[in-house]
Amino acid sequence: MKNIGTKIAAVAVLVLVLVLASSAAYAGKGGSAAAIQAAVSSTSTDAIIAEVERAEGLMCEACIQTLTNLTEDARYEVREVAAWWFAKRPALKDMLASQFASDLPQGGTIKVRNAADFLGRTKTYTALPQLRAAIHRNDLGAEAKLALVRAVGFMAHTGGNEVLTTAMADADASVRVAAIVAWRDMLGQQTAQPVVASLGDQDAKVRAAAAAVVGNMTEQSARGTLEALVVQDPDSTVRRNAAWALGQLGNAGSRTALLQATGDNSGLVRGVAKAALAGLH
Amino acid sequence: MKHQIKSIAIGAALFTLGGIGCGGSGSDSGPLGNVDSLIILQRPKRNDTGDIFQYTSFKPGARIVQLQPPTADGTLTTICCDKAGPDFAQIDISSYDISFDAKSIVFSGKRPSDMAYGLFLLQLSDGHVDQIASNPMRDFVSPIFLPGDRVMFTSNDVVEKGAPQHRDEYERGTTIQLGRVNLDGTGLELGPRNLSHRTAPSLASDGRVIFTQWDHLGPQNSGHLMFVNQDMQELREGFGKEGTGASNSTLKAHEISPGRFVAIATARNRTINSGALIDIRLGDVATQDGAVNAAVNQSEANATYRQLTPDVPMDNSPSADTVGRYYDAFPLNAKDKPDLLVSWADGPVESGVLAAAGLSANFGIYLYDSAHQQRRPILDDPEMWDIFAQPLRTRPAPNVVGSAQDPKLAGQTLIGSLDVYQSSLHTFKPGEIFGVRVMEGFSSEEGFPEDFGTTMFEGQANLGVAKVAADGSWAAKIPANVPVHLQTVDVFGMSLFNEPVWFSGRPGEARMCGGCHEDRTRTTNVTPGQLDIFALGAAQLFGDKPRSARIKTAPTTATEVVGVGWNTQVQPIFDAKCISCHEGTPGAANPSYTITDPSGVMAPVMWTFDLRGGALPPEMAIAAGGGAYSRSYFSMAGPDMEAIEKAHLMIMGNFKVYMNPEDARGSIAIKLLNPTQLFPAPSATRAFPTTPHMMGKGTELTAQEFYTLILAADMGVNYYARENNPGLQIY
Repeated sequence: MKNIGTKIAAVAVLVLVLVLASSAAYAGKGGSAAAIQAAVSSTSTDAIIAEVERAEGLMCEACIQTLTNLTEDARYEVREVAAWWFAKRPALKDMLASQFASDLPQGGTIKVRNAADFLGRTKTYTALPQLRAAIHRNDLGAEAKLALVRAVGFMAHTGGNEVLTTAMADADASVRVAAIVAWRDMLGQQTAQPVVASLGDQDAKVRAAAAAVVGNMTEQSARGTLEALVVQDPDSTVRRNAAWALGQLGNAGSRTALLQATGDNSGLVRGVAKAALAGLH
Repeated sequence: MKHQIKSIAIGAALFTLGGIGCGGSGSDSGPLGNVDSLIILQRPKRNDTGDIFQYTSFKPGARIVQLQPPTADGTLTTICCDKAGPDFAQIDISSYDISFDAKSIVFSGKRPSDMAYGLFLLQLSDGHVDQIASNPMRDFVSPIFLPGDRVMFTSNDVVEKGAPQHRDEYERGTTIQLGRVNLDGTGLELGPRNLSHRTAPSLASDGRVIFTQWDHLGPQNSGHLMFVNQDMQELREGFGKEGTGASNSTLKAHEISPGRFVAIATARNRTINSGALIDIRLGDVATQDGAVNAAVNQSEANATYRQLTPDVPMDNSPSADTVGRYYDAFPLNAKDKPDLLVSWADGPVESGVLAAAGLSANFGIYLYDSAHQQRRPILDDPEMWDIFAQPLRTRPAPNVVGSAQDPKLAGQTLIGSLDVYQSSLHTFKPGEIFGVRVMEGFSSEEGFPEDFGTTMFEGQANLGVAKVAADGSWAAKIPANVPVHLQTVDVFGMSLFNEPVWFSGRPGEARMCGGCHEDRTRTTNVTPGQLDIFALGAAQLFGDKPRSARIKTAPTTATEVVGVGWNTQVQPIFDAKCISCHEGTPGAANPSYTITDPSGVMAPVMWTFDLRGGALPPEMAIAAGGGAYSRSYFSMAGPDMEAIEKAHLMIMGNFKVYMNPEDARGSIAIKLLNPTQLFPAPSATRAFPTTPHMMGKGTELTAQEFYTLILAADMGVNYYARENNPGLQIY
């Protein structure tokens, strides 16, 4: 957490402003700096989240250091709620965001992870260029890549599509899955075409995610591959998702494959295939 | 499998239940005398479900068990999912329901390879499990059986194609809404959306479904019980809104008898989904053969409740030893003080205290005698949460309760009232209502910053005003599946009364209410014959327009104004007509006030009224909730008064808030400007008998400018609307 001092230095000017409320022991909705600190001490993720939420409107100079520390907590849920707290204080958020954005080009995996989560959760759209550049770094671990994907997924801005398409080819399967899932949630996303290739991924979780996304986005070009997956894939989750996706596509040409899937030996697949069959045009 | 009994210090009478069985239990051998076995859900214990709307917690290793007979020394048998094959070996199960014929169980489960919770059907005859088809990327939880071979559930799947699911503004979870599906996985339907969560549905004997809805509109922020038909139409309030609530949130309601429910009363967070038990009576209380019901005159206004567990905290403070908290309750009879199957955990059931101690809540199953406030232990596996105990027995299926859908609405929703003047919440003067304004709600998921302004209101779009006919009736076609709230407005377009909750309707649903929140126990009487509004026709309020078209960045008339972006629509008015005087120079035209800290730690900060645009000076930004809003916005909306008050700061000088959220009529700025009549057509008639502020000072505002300011106030004094959504910019 060595960059916390830098960040606090950056916000020190505003702290002078925040002395406005430095004597406030309690504010917001019953929250307080002491209560947040107690929650941090408890180590309970749930308690930390609850106390930060209660400090939604708290004018609290004493909270800044604690919350800044939480933006670099090891737990995503804690980083998320800390970022939310800053998002409600745009002036502070902007100062931290510029610091975090500067971590993206050079920072290590953890720094990039924390930066991406902060920038994503605060919807700092101006950081999209840095996020796009960071995903191309080949010295980052999966944790950072996941956070980059998560950031553009939260922004849901198609300006992050490049992050996702790059991540879909990542060596780590969990990154590929996250990118595929995020692809569906981008506002105004028009096509699932970039996801179709992932139906042939070597990892079953990737294939399952891809099947679900092309089903969600009714990507008709995926039909042939889905029909093969629903009867041939060794993984029952992939077969189930393929069956569901074919039901969403609704093409009568999928009848043979789905009929075969109704006799699948997995309880995951049979019922889903029957329902999909009933929905074909 | 460990099968231990917890020691509970609740007195010597603990193990004597003689005489409990009277009053609707139909047995002399105690409330469980006629019960052959219990079904119980066992989940690995955890501590990450403090929020009552939490639905994504996952920890593999859950199981559904059967306890036969239903006593502490009964035999425990795992019935799911050990016989369902390797696919189900590491499943987590969040909730379940038993079918009416007691031959199958529907449950919500997630396996390590799943992206989300799905729905599954367990056949009790042979233990095999089939998945019910649903979107594998979305969670489907809290399933209950409906008559007609259907299942109702809650889900974060999105009913509106291409739109993001609403995200709760405060708790930040992707919201879950009601839906239903046929048991064979066909016919999946998603219900209309609330801006926040809907959870824990339960079927009542009259065929309606009761569930918990999180209501969040400005200062409103609590979980209430609502009713809906099985087809997710005819949404009605149940309990908790009109000052009848016992706590911030009421959830997991189960019917005791008609009009009577047991539920958990608690705070939204830190309580591990648990709290006190309350006995809710929605109508007039009557007793028949020892069974108490409240079926007649059911209404939220008539509702009462009894605390069944008086010592249990209903907020989120840690519970005491031997007091603990209750996770759920299932009624076994309808005595005045009923016997219940409960899930209870001892000690401080509060997430922070538990985590600090390295503990998790340990819920076990007990028989609770509410007359004597005694628990009798039935099952407690210390490694598991033992929850949702229910007798395994048949039960009558209520009738299929649905409501008509009108194909002529072509996918729109029709809303209206027979006589808008009939209200249990407000008294209107005859003839004062011109129409009913419908406003759509949305959250920051559309790309907005975290807040829409300092006033804590959600994003809003004015869909228009439906004119009220001479007989008080009105109707409007609005977009389906979209949260809206209503205001009765006068001829100046100002709100007379604001409905403080969001509601929504399904495609083809026609929701004609009696009035404007009329007395629910009375019949709305109208003049015999056809309602005027049926002859006049419903107003078309964007009912056939998609979300992307419900925006107007450059309206040219007053009634074209949809959303009000402060910097793009309000500020130009100030720039053109106000800032020649109100430019921040202290004086009569620009009053000043000072925020001081009585403790003397802070230096006083002075603010002077200023209707110019541009960012607030940094020393004021924090008083505006830390928002990056403009000088004119801060001048009109004022500082965050809650923060000021609770920070023990003082405001001295000429301090005023010039625009009140959802109260244009009471707002100083609007009163001073004294708007001209807008409806049914613009005229020079003024709203107030005072001299208009602009008289002799400059150019009078146009009808569109007046209405822009009125809407800015009546829609919550927000800074952001779709019209100035900064997230729409491309970087």
